[in-house]
Order: sequence, then C-alpha cells, then structure tokens
Amino acid sequence: MEDTSRHTEIWAVGGGKGGTGKSFITSSMGTCLALKGKKTLLLDADLGGANLHNFFGLISPKRSLTDFFEKRALLQELIVHTGIANLELITGSTGSLDSESINYAQKQRLFRHIRALDADTILIDLGGGTHINTLDTFLLADKMVVVTVPEITAIENMYQFVKSVYYRKLKSIFKAYELNTVVQDTWKNRTVHNIRNLKDLIGYLKQGSDQIRDIFIREMSGFVVHIILNEVRSPKDILIGENLKRACVNFLGLQVVYSGYASYDEAVHKSINNKEAFMLFNRLSPVVKEIRQLTEHIETETGFSVPEDLLDGRIL
Amino acid sequence: MEEYYNYLDLLELTPEATPADIRRRYRYLKNLYAGDSIEIRALANDFSDEIRADYLARLDDAFKKLSELPEKSTTGAPLPGPGLDDELRLWLTQVDCFTGATLRNIRERMKVDLKTIFTVTRIQTHFLEAIEGEAFQSFPAEVYLRSYLIEYARFLSLDTQRVLNDYLARYRDWTAQQA
Repeated sequence: MEDTSRHTEIWAVGGGKGGTGKSFITSSMGTCLALKGKKTLLLDADLGGANLHNFFGLISPKRSLTDFFEKRALLQELIVHTGIANLELITGSTGSLDSESINYAQKQRLFRHIRALDADTILIDLGGGTHINTLDTFLLADKMVVVTVPEITAIENMYQFVKSVYYRKLKSIFKAYELNTVVQDTWKNRTVHNIRNLKDLIGYLKQGSDQIRDIFIREMSGFVVHIILNEVRSPKDILIGENLKRACVNFLGLQVVYSGYASYDEAVHKSINNKEAFMLFNRLSPVVKEIRQLTEHIETETGFSVPEDLLDGRIL
Repeated sequence: MEEYYNYLDLLELTPEATPADIRRRYRYLKNLYAGDSIEIRALANDFSDEIRADYLARLDDAFKKLSELPEKSTTGAPLPGPGLDDELRLWLTQVDCFTGATLRNIRERMKVDLKTIFTVTRIQTHFLEAIEGEAFQSFPAEVYLRSYLIEYARFLSLDTQRVLNDYLARYRDWTAQQA
C-alpha cells in the first residue's frame, strides 16, 4: 500500500467547563479510532492540569509540552505509547508553565509542529475555560468538538465557549482581509445597529457589503461545531443535545452537528480510577457502543438522529 | 411561494416536508422555546424575552400559513401531501369507492403508520384499525365514526366528502342489515 500523501486530520475537544468528561471522551474516541486501524495521536493540551495519561494507566511522562516550549525536546520526542496499537500520546505540562504564559511565537511553533506529526488523526484535549490559547488551539482543528453535560452550568459555559471561538475566528479572518476594526466597531455600536446577539451581528455584517458576504461564504462556511453530550441519565437528556443544536443554529447563528451522547455509567468512573482504558475492558457497558457511534458520526460528519418518539415528547 | 419557503425555513424544514412533518416540527419547536428548559435558559442574553416573543410569534404565523396552504394546493401550488407523488395521485383519481381496504391500501402506499395518525389526530389506533377493517360494530354510533373518518381522511390529504359518502354508505348498509 502506498501512503505517500497521508492527510492528518486534527480534532480538538473543548467545551468551556472542566469536569464534563473531555479527557474521557477524547481518550475513548482515540482508542476507538486506533482499534479501527487509524494511526492516532492524543495531544494533551491541558497545560495547567494534564492527565490524559491516566486513562491508559501510564505514569506521568518525564517529558511534556513544557520541554517543547522551552526547546529542550522536539515534539516527536515527547511521544509515548499508550499500550494500545496505533495509539500514541503527547502529554501536556503538569505544573511549571501555565497556559497563559505561552507567547505568540511559541504557539505558532507548536501549531506548525503538530501539523507535521506522523498520524492519521490527532486528537487534542483542551483544558477548560475560554483563554485565547485554548480558543486558538481549538480553531486549529479540522473538526471542532465540544463536550458538555446536561447541567445548566456546563451548558452556559458551552454556549460561551462556542461564541468566543466563533468571535475569535471572525476577528482573525477580518484581520486577514484588513478589515480588523469592522467586527469590533460593529459590536461596540451594537445598540445603534439594533444588534442583540451574535446572530444579529453575523446578519448585520453579511448585509454590509458583497465583499463581506463573500468572506463569510468562503471562510466561515467550514465552521461547524460538533456537540457531544456526556453523562446522559435519561432518554429525555438525549434530546438536550438536539435542543442545543437548534438553539445554536437559531439564536447564535452557528452551524452545529449533534454527534451523539454517552450515558452516565458507574463503570466509567470505576475504570478511570482503576487507570485502565475504558473502551477495552467494558464491553458490556452501553457507553462503549455510544462512543463508537459518536466517533463514527464525527468521522463522517453526520449527525445523530434523535428517535422520533423523543422529538414528539412521547418519552419523558 | 417565496414566503412559503421562508416559513419552512423558520421551521427548519425542506420543501419535501409533509403536513405531518410540519405539525410535528412546529410542536417540537414551540415546546422547546416556549418552555423553561435548561438548554434555553442557559442562552441568557442571546434569547431575551423580547427575542423569544418575536420568535414565537413568527413560528405561530409560519405554522398557520403553512396549515392554510393545502386548500390552495388544489389550484396548483406544489404542496405535497404525505408522500403524494404523481403516480399515487393518478391512482387516487381512479378510486371508485373508499372502502376500508382501499383506505388501508392508500395509507400503506403513503408509508404512514397508524401510530403516526394517532399522534396527530389522537384517534386511538384500534378505532383506526376498525375503520380499515370495516369492523363497524366497534363504533357506538355513526357520529363517532363520522368524525374519525374526517380526521383520518384529512390526515391522508384525501377528499373528505368523497370518503364520507362512500364509507358511510357502507356503514349504513351494514346497520340496515343488523336491523
């Protein structure tokens, strides 16, 4: 088999709030892809509190992204094997350097080197929050994934996160076209233009000129957020993902796909504390099948279709 | 027609949507945005009371306008009934008598199941089955059968009056025999 033009696809997993299971979902999706034979690399970009290695029972690797930033190691040299075929890991820094002190040049260098890594799929696990570094890493991805749970605090943070990401992207694109002030100025004067939310802002900008409309079509049409709902406890919770999608489309003006959900299961909790790869040792858990499904949905850019009974409100 | 697409757009539906699709989507969206679910409350400023009221008014309007359309469709507007393709349309014009068996045949060709009819009309499926099986004894009086038939026929976008004429004639024959 010739494989001269390997195309590396980058998935970034974020979501704004900590504790929603980003690392669990990332490690499980990675395992899933690796088991399918895809050469997969997990990058733990939670620079404040990296712990992705725990999901594979690895001890905290000696070298981390800190060594890369401080030019003591190449990115490839940080790769450790997870013990699962086709699955490798680069860990974030635990301590010493916090994510906020990375400068622009370091960030650029990291992005360049990530792109050059030898893998079919690279999964980046982001920390919580909406710091610029987190947003930029998220925007680097070919597939942007957010993980949230059916709780109002997590959902609020998720909305905030996707809005921040979109706004950041919008600003950087307008800057590239030397229209840097347009977005900020419009937003500053939003009351004058009768702009109430992000959706109104997008609508207003698009109306502004043909040039701006073209920019949106060319640059923003690829902006799709994939939602994963974790810790689902009832059939009704499943519907929340669909509702989130509708709300994002309708009131934030964003393109969103509901990729799927993972049920709440004590087995997950146990597996994490036992430091074993969940996907390998819990074949009876429904979560295994659910994660396989949602991974496939993200791979193929398809959405999870919610059962009609749920949409009709017949199952509560 | 432009407006019609705008209404469908608001309901996030494509022009292939059937009246049943439209009704279901309307109910779903109305429930979602009129309600007080966490996923909506979390939107906060992006979904103020003002935006909510404005949206719901537009949603109601769109549904009302779309519901009014089937009447106009006889004058050529291309609003499809549930799976009413041309072949089926042609076949329907050739139906001589709307018997129970014919109604079942039509429904099955349209790929509509009884449960779906129930969700919209709220007619229990055993009554729907009785209509299709001509189990006339299941109906306590003609007036019940009549109202069920109207809903059933409307759901399948059939000519209600014709269905009533044909079907009730058969029912009356049966009652005459019982006497």
